[in-house]
Amino acid sequence: MRTLLNFLVKHRAWFLFIFYAVISLGLLFKNNPYQRHVYLTSASHVTGSVYKLSNSVTGYFNLRAINDDLQRQNAELSSELLALRDQVDKLTLKVYGDSVPAIEPVRKYDFILAKVINNSISRPHNYITIDKGSLDGVRPEMGVIDQNGVIGVVEIVNDRFARIISLLNPDFRLSCKVKGNDIIGSLVWDGKDSRTALVEELPKHTVFAPGDTIVTSGFSAMFPPDIPVATVIERATTNDDNFYTLRVRLLTEFAQLSTVRIVVNSDLNDIKEIEANMKQ
Amino acid sequence: MAKTVFSYILLFVVLVAAQAVVFNQICLFGVAVPLVFIFFILRLPVNTGPNTLLTLGFILGLTVDVFSDTPGMNALCCTVLAGLRNPILHLYLPREDNISNPIPSMKSLTGSVYLKYVITAITLYCALYFILESFTFFALRMLILRIAASTLLTFIIIICIDSLTSLKSEKRL
Repeated sequence: MRTLLNFLVKHRAWFLFIFYAVISLGLLFKNNPYQRHVYLTSASHVTGSVYKLSNSVTGYFNLRAINDDLQRQNAELSSELLALRDQVDKLTLKVYGDSVPAIEPVRKYDFILAKVINNSISRPHNYITIDKGSLDGVRPEMGVIDQNGVIGVVEIVNDRFARIISLLNPDFRLSCKVKGNDIIGSLVWDGKDSRTALVEELPKHTVFAPGDTIVTSGFSAMFPPDIPVATVIERATTNDDNFYTLRVRLLTEFAQLSTVRIVVNSDLNDIKEIEANMKQ
Repeated sequence: MAKTVFSYILLFVVLVAAQAVVFNQICLFGVAVPLVFIFFILRLPVNTGPNTLLTLGFILGLTVDVFSDTPGMNALCCTVLAGLRNPILHLYLPREDNISNPIPSMKSLTGSVYLKYVITAITLYCALYFILESFTFFALRMLILRIAASTLLTFIIIICIDSLTSLKSEKRL
């Protein structure tokens, strides 16, 4: 017993080293991102507050580019609004006289606006921290978009902050399709460049041309259908001969994110319930 | 004694904040990432015991991990670096009794000893960090490039910080 104690005391530095190394390795290889504790992420109170403070300074840097994007989208929306108003006018004239009361359409998607307070694009696993949390209605597994396209999915939620898995993270696969046909592929980042990604698992009969737009499929319940994600650059070479893989240019400028929108799908809970029942 | 402890706590907070807010956003030419916070481990007094070194190294790494969403990576690398710091130091400094100031710096150690000590530690840290990181996407050429570029960038910044801190202490005298 005494020799054992002596042994432990003599080599206590080694035991301490092994103890710390085991804790680190445990954190490093705990793969399921949903089980990570909120305190050890950038969405915790202390880290969130630090990033919020630094963002109050750096938030002004990209305003010009963001303003340009918003102007462009504003113009598009205005023209769309005019076209729709025109159509509504015509239809109202057509059904005038029919005394059937119009049914109030149920709004399926709603948006929560949030500010990006921390963002990375250079690591193999990239995450984004935003300044809205569960008190503002943000829940895990909600989709996140901005004025250009898809950004990611909410992963961990604190009461005031939330962490998003960026599209630039190989843990996140997005169900999407080439605009115009309904063939589903899956978009995943390959870690090379923050501006490009791959669309995998497209069947060989898919028709596409460089410049075509890739949009969300709407099958995942996180994102509304037909949100633009990327444009096709070329066919990528892979070892898998049974499917096409496309290299695509992402529409979102991940290097200069500022304000993002979190998609609130009012059907999300119902869909989850049904899926959970199906698994049982 | 209390003054030394306080100055180390201040150094810890400043380095972690600088890493989280400034250095984590830098990725020069898509390869060079400055990992400047390890200056804290390099700066600890020469006569620090291995247990204190390991504990402080682990806490430092874990704190940086929390800020940069890399669970366990910096904690592991910092623990290894803290464990190997004294052996590295004694590789270039055979006897520690003939230096006046126990805090390693360009002035207290002679220039060449300090530079060798710093570059060895940084190379070790960067190699370990990027090898761990490359478990996700493996590309050998990119890996070597990242290690070399990051080591160089970190080395330059740490030498700058070292000269800044020694400048300040001279003024105080």
